[in-house]
Amino acid sequence: MPSTTTSVDVPKSGKIIHNPELCRGCKICELACSVYHEGICSAHLARIHVVPDDLALEFPAQICHQCQYPSCYYACPKKDKSMCIDSETGARYINKDECLRCGKCERACPFTPSLIWQREEDSKKIYYKCDLCRGRDGGPICVEFCPRNALTFVSREKSK
Amino acid sequence: MSQMFGWIGKILRVDIGTGKITTEETSKYVPEYIGGKGVATRIAWNELKPGTGPYEPDNMLMFMTGPFTGTLVPTSGRGSVCGISPRIYPSPWFTYGTMGGDWAAELKYAGFDAVIIKGNSPKLVYLWIHDGKAELRDADELAGLDTFVTQHHLKEKHGHQTQVVCIGPAGENRVLWSTIQHRLSNSIGDAGLGAVMGVKKLKAIAIRGTGGVRIAKPDEFIKICRKMAEMIKGGPTNYPHPTDLPYRSPVGPENQQCSHGCPLGCGSLHKNIPAGITVGSGTRNMMAHCEDYAFIYGEAATKYPTEDIKDIYHGDMYTRETKAFGERIGTELQALCEGLGLTSSFPINYYPWFWVCIENGITEIQGVKLKPDEPKFWFEFMKKVAYREDSFGEIFAQDMMRAVDQLELPSVVKKAAKFQFPMYGQPSHRQGRSYESQPSPLWINTMLHWIIDSRDPMACHHQSSFVAGWFPPHNEGKGGTPDSNMVKLKETYKKAFGTSGGMEPGFENIDDKTKLAVWQDNRAQIKDSLLLCDWVFPAILHTFPSRKDYLEAKEYYGDIDAEAKMLVHLTGLDINTDYIDKAGERIRNLDRAIHIRNYDRSREIDSSGEWYYEYPEKSDGTKLDMNIFNAILDSYYKHRSWDKTTGRPTRTKLEELGLKEVADELEKIEKLKR
Repeated sequence: MPSTTTSVDVPKSGKIIHNPELCRGCKICELACSVYHEGICSAHLARIHVVPDDLALEFPAQICHQCQYPSCYYACPKKDKSMCIDSETGARYINKDECLRCGKCERACPFTPSLIWQREEDSKKIYYKCDLCRGRDGGPICVEFCPRNALTFVSREKSK
Repeated sequence: MSQMFGWIGKILRVDIGTGKITTEETSKYVPEYIGGKGVATRIAWNELKPGTGPYEPDNMLMFMTGPFTGTLVPTSGRGSVCGISPRIYPSPWFTYGTMGGDWAAELKYAGFDAVIIKGNSPKLVYLWIHDGKAELRDADELAGLDTFVTQHHLKEKHGHQTQVVCIGPAGENRVLWSTIQHRLSNSIGDAGLGAVMGVKKLKAIAIRGTGGVRIAKPDEFIKICRKMAEMIKGGPTNYPHPTDLPYRSPVGPENQQCSHGCPLGCGSLHKNIPAGITVGSGTRNMMAHCEDYAFIYGEAATKYPTEDIKDIYHGDMYTRETKAFGERIGTELQALCEGLGLTSSFPINYYPWFWVCIENGITEIQGVKLKPDEPKFWFEFMKKVAYREDSFGEIFAQDMMRAVDQLELPSVVKKAAKFQFPMYGQPSHRQGRSYESQPSPLWINTMLHWIIDSRDPMACHHQSSFVAGWFPPHNEGKGGTPDSNMVKLKETYKKAFGTSGGMEPGFENIDDKTKLAVWQDNRAQIKDSLLLCDWVFPAILHTFPSRKDYLEAKEYYGDIDAEAKMLVHLTGLDINTDYIDKAGERIRNLDRAIHIRNYDRSREIDSSGEWYYEYPEKSDGTKLDMNIFNAILDSYYKHRSWDKTTGRPTRTKLEELGLKEVADELEKIEKLKR
């Protein structure tokens, strides 16, 4: 068995864990996320997406896993300027002002759908993803607002 | 208008008869009418002419959202549907309903504050709304499908996150009990508007949007929403919080919230019930709430304080109680009911009435044997009604009052039906005479909502009920909170309104009671216009983080300025509680004006249910007579500035509310008190 020591050169990140067993699809996380980041309440602009099956009463969600091997980060042509690592939480985040809008991070994300989202703004593509609400007192806002403890924030220290 | 905060800025207009689709600016109606029911009421005044019947093309079905819809405001996920309802007895009129779910938020994300449907389509269609666009599509393949399959089908076609409101076979067949259904267990029920959707041949509205609601002051808005979520977190059923539940877990995983953006969970989740239903998708999941439990747990009649009251109720009429068939059969029945697109109030009201029939020698109607204790009877009865099968199905496809009018039955049986549907053909609800007890002064309060509204107001305005939920006489044996403290409750009302007179039992302090009812009714208009959940807002009470805090509290006051505080940061407008109260008053007076102009609403109609309150309230025996009733109504009209003789608003009041042209029009037809 090869060594499990990773050659990854970026620090570990904290992450948000969603428990579909406790979630009931109220989407308050999406609302809190989008108003905090964009000043708009919108499921589409949120960085967390609850995608319930209303008739089956199943409540999965999609949120960035802040991978230990962040493919998005490595794919970015402007690493540490555009796709960055937050020194506090380890969050992999996009610096909108520096973003080239090339979409390489979106395509590099190993998940389907990609957990880096895009939207059009003044006919430009804007890419956005969960940044663990970097700099916010009290940590990620979705976790704070979730009324059912379905979302948990695990700090980088405790993150496996 | 894309720069509006809170509102999206556009209303979608669909003439389903001609296929013409247009939009208009929401700013024509807001902020004066807030949104939801308020805007619908303004449109109804402008466009619903006297003499328009529920099935005529000129009737409108108005699917409404409000400024709070689709935002972080706790419990803001509800929408309202308004139009002329065929269900109202003895004759149809303009009314409203509200329901939860995700459709209202999705409609705003799709770019519209409301959808107004006019005209009747020649063939079955559905409306597909997506990101600022709308189109009518052929619905041949949806014809006859149950409400779950219809939703499933449209989700398959337009994407999983598409939200669908639809009718089932009952609505297509213009059954008066039919619903407009959404998700599991969200519906417009007793408003009777499912039948209107059926006549318009509009099978469904499918909605998908990727837009959002702009917030004027995001940071302040987030803070106030967090604070209000905290205030209400105990949930309406636990007012005030009876147990030491941990922070942020007022509800367990077995509970389900009905609506988008709601931190509570009033519904209970029934998952993977092995359904044996023979129509449609055979959904195996349901969300149950209130009367949905009818056949799951059964609903027991409340206790009576004395033998003579018991005698009155058993000799003269019946009280509502149903049989428990258990979770499996009960849920299957509920699923069938909602799949067919029938309201849950249909079985729960027929069950005891069929027993009155049997006890009075009527064991069979139109060749059908009445067997209310057998689930099989209900499975067949619901299908007969939804499909109007045989003369039995035809007759009961009407509301109960119309059905009884057509049947030859002993007078006691007819009286029992009237007792169950005392006003407007709507099921008795929180009146203290039929199903729930509602000890004085609570029934006096609910009476004041019943007698001036256009439907069962309690289904959309539970303000009084969650007080009743832990009111000492009411919660006896019903799992309420035994520590409820009347002194503290009165202190709460004193803090909110400067007097606790509205909460004093008996007929003292009538002025305080009517004044409180006027305030509540105005706020009910606001709550249906913003929109918010009626179980929570206006928040006279709040919950407590622990039982200890609750026991040590001097009163339970919540925050009746909550609506204004949230609306200010949402819209950036200079709005305060006075503005909110006035808007509520404006909406109520305009609704009154519609009812006066179109239906000759009068003091006589307001008094038509007085007889009901001559029967004793079932838990404390209190009742009134015509003199007391008149004194109460006089006082209520006084606080409304309505004319004592006719019940019509005065010009002064209408002008004060910015409704001069309404006063002019009423004056022209000689229906204004000078």
